[in-house]
Amino acid sequence: MKPTSTDKAPLRGPRLGVEIAGVRFKNPVLTASGTFGYGLEFAPYLDLNAIGGIVVKGLSMKPIAGNPPPRVYETASGMLNAIGWQNIGAAAFVAEKLPGLANYDTRVIVNIVGFELDEYLEVARFLNDCPGVHALELNISCPNVGKGGFHFNKDPRDTHKITAEVRRASPRLPLWVKLSPNVTDIREFARAAEEAGADALSVINTLVGMAIDVHSRRPRLRFRTGGLSGPAIKPVALRMVWEACQAVRIPVIGIGGIATAEDALEFLIAGARAVQVGTANFYEPAVSERIALGLGEYCRAHRIDDIHEIIGSLRDYE
Amino acid sequence: MLDRKVKIKEIRDLGAGNHLLVITSPEQARLVRPGQFVMLKCVEDTGGNPLLRRPFTIFNIHRNARSGKPAGLELLVKEAGAGTRRLVMARPGQVLDCLGPQGQGFHLPPDLSSRVATACLVAGGVGIAPLLLLAESLLALRIRPILFYGGATAADLVLRESFERLGIDIIYCTEDASHGERGLVTGPLEQFLRIHPRKDTRLYACGPWGMMRGVHELAVGYELQCEVSLEARMGCGLGACLGCVVASEASEGRSYPLVCQDGPVMNSRLVRWDIAPI
Ligand SMILES: Cc1cc2nc3c(=O)[nH]c(=O)nc-3n(C[C@H](O)[C@H](O)[C@H](O)COP(=O)(O)OP(=O)(O)OC[C@H]3O[C@@H](n4cnc5c(N)ncnc54)[C@H](O)[C@@H]3O)c2cc1C
Ligand SMILES: Cc1cc2nc3c(=O)[nH]c(=O)nc-3n(C[C@H](O)[C@H](O)[C@H](O)COP(=O)(O)O)c2cc1C
Ligand code: FES
Repeated sequence: MKPTSTDKAPLRGPRLGVEIAGVRFKNPVLTASGTFGYGLEFAPYLDLNAIGGIVVKGLSMKPIAGNPPPRVYETASGMLNAIGWQNIGAAAFVAEKLPGLANYDTRVIVNIVGFELDEYLEVARFLNDCPGVHALELNISCPNVGKGGFHFNKDPRDTHKITAEVRRASPRLPLWVKLSPNVTDIREFARAAEEAGADALSVINTLVGMAIDVHSRRPRLRFRTGGLSGPAIKPVALRMVWEACQAVRIPVIGIGGIATAEDALEFLIAGARAVQVGTANFYEPAVSERIALGLGEYCRAHRIDDIHEIIGSLRDYE
Repeated sequence: MLDRKVKIKEIRDLGAGNHLLVITSPEQARLVRPGQFVMLKCVEDTGGNPLLRRPFTIFNIHRNARSGKPAGLELLVKEAGAGTRRLVMARPGQVLDCLGPQGQGFHLPPDLSSRVATACLVAGGVGIAPLLLLAESLLALRIRPILFYGGATAADLVLRESFERLGIDIIYCTEDASHGERGLVTGPLEQFLRIHPRKDTRLYACGPWGMMRGVHELAVGYELQCEVSLEARMGCGLGACLGCVVASEASEGRSYPLVCQDGPVMNSRLVRWDIAPI
């Protein structure tokens, strides 16, 4: 890659900070929902102050038990999961986890889930009044529950409706809408969410997949299908992030198979304002800190003062 | 609790796909409690095959030959698929990512001997892994361990000498009668419980799901407490992915404790034995 044409080396370190819907992030590296617990689980392994933000596990108003096991299975360069929204409930999160997270200088984004529209609205209303929550991420794209969630991402009109309603239910908090890759044209859903008042888009959730044990002839997951994540999905995710960036003006947060600073840079160059690291946290708990450091190193090596010089800087062949 | 890059000190082929992997990590070795595990992966494997770390029980604490101080961990690794094959093909000196020690081990309060006189340790194959540190701890608590060790054939009964060295009673079983009694390990266990009907006996089991279920049913039948060391597919080993659950008998409704955090050792009565986690 060619260095940019700045003559002078930056005096201070490169500026990595980004803003999404009025919220400042010290760098564009966040951790993805469902892959970083409630955040504190990772405190022994990395400096939580070193990353831009934490998107916590999808929360519903009432606790959810989740699916019976087996729930995960490794596939080529990836994994399938069907957790089924197991979570402790929003009230327990606010009482037991949020105070601990407040000790860190990083942003907290809460991913919200529900089986019915009313359940989304209830949890959005509740979190709207919780100090220490910096944004909501509306998960309408999880493939691992029997009903709910997923069907708001089957038709752009439903995406519009739920986005508009959650927007009204939680007027204080920036609203990110997390889109599913399991659609023909993600741009339609991106536009629908933008029109309905979304402040940002998170792209993508997992791809629906399957694996079978040929000896028992049973699916590897009891839920039968599961969400595919990890390096295997990165090219698909990158393409969809790039498409979404063309379709909307609101910021897009890139997610899918990111495991290195170079992976993160690809998403930023494609137009993402920030990225979320998911599955890689499982096999390298400190990976998000390493990626944030790697972005700084890249900028220094390429004499880039500000990460915004990279965002959306995709070049065409002559 | 710790994520460290550790060096392989030695890999010993024990036959039948089993290997003893010795890694140098004094820091982690000092923290180990019986029944805990580590998550392992070769540092070079960044290409995604395997992608995730794999869980292995800590078989023993490797001690410095001169000082006797904890120097590392000994792990029993049985080849099961790509991930385990990769590990056993590694060479001494090679570096691994090692997260641990993780999880809840066996329940070993200092006053355990006031309730327990005899401990029946039941192993199937590599299920032997958590039982050496357990047997040593029980001996230190003045509780008498008896090992019931089963496998398909004699070659599956690895690391026998580590237990024979402790001077404890051992009953071996193989399905083909190539070593010890013929049949499943639950056979001689039941015989023992019938002949010695004492309430101060406790059962500890690790092995295939069906075997642990059998031991649990004996525990229920003879009204004894039983701890099992469970296996589940793990995404992270640190409580984040919620992938490693086992279905539990909760007082109300369903509940799915995490094998990596609430286990791997659990009271067998909390487990729903009709839903295998793998
Ligand atoms: C807490 C815990 C402690 C363990 N301790 C040991 C140990 O001390 N020694 C040892 O050899 N093995 C142990 N295992 C099992 C070991 O982790 C698996 O054999 C290994 O992950 C398989 O990886 P693979 O890539 O080689 O096999 P894969 O290709 O993933 O699978 C091969 C076979 O192994 C089974 N398997 C996959 N993952 C697991 C798993 N997590 N647990 C059990 N079976 C699995 C699969 O169903 C399949 O039949 C332990 C597992 C757990 C959860
Ligand atoms: C085990 C697991 C649990 C997840 N749980 C959630 C969730 O609760 N809410 C959500 O929006 N996405 C969830 N995801 C999706 C991730 O946030 C992310 O979008 C996806 O895994 C792709 O990124 P990756 O390839 O970096 O993992 C989960 C993913 C995994 C692997
Ligand atoms: S292995 Fe991820 S939560 Fe237990």
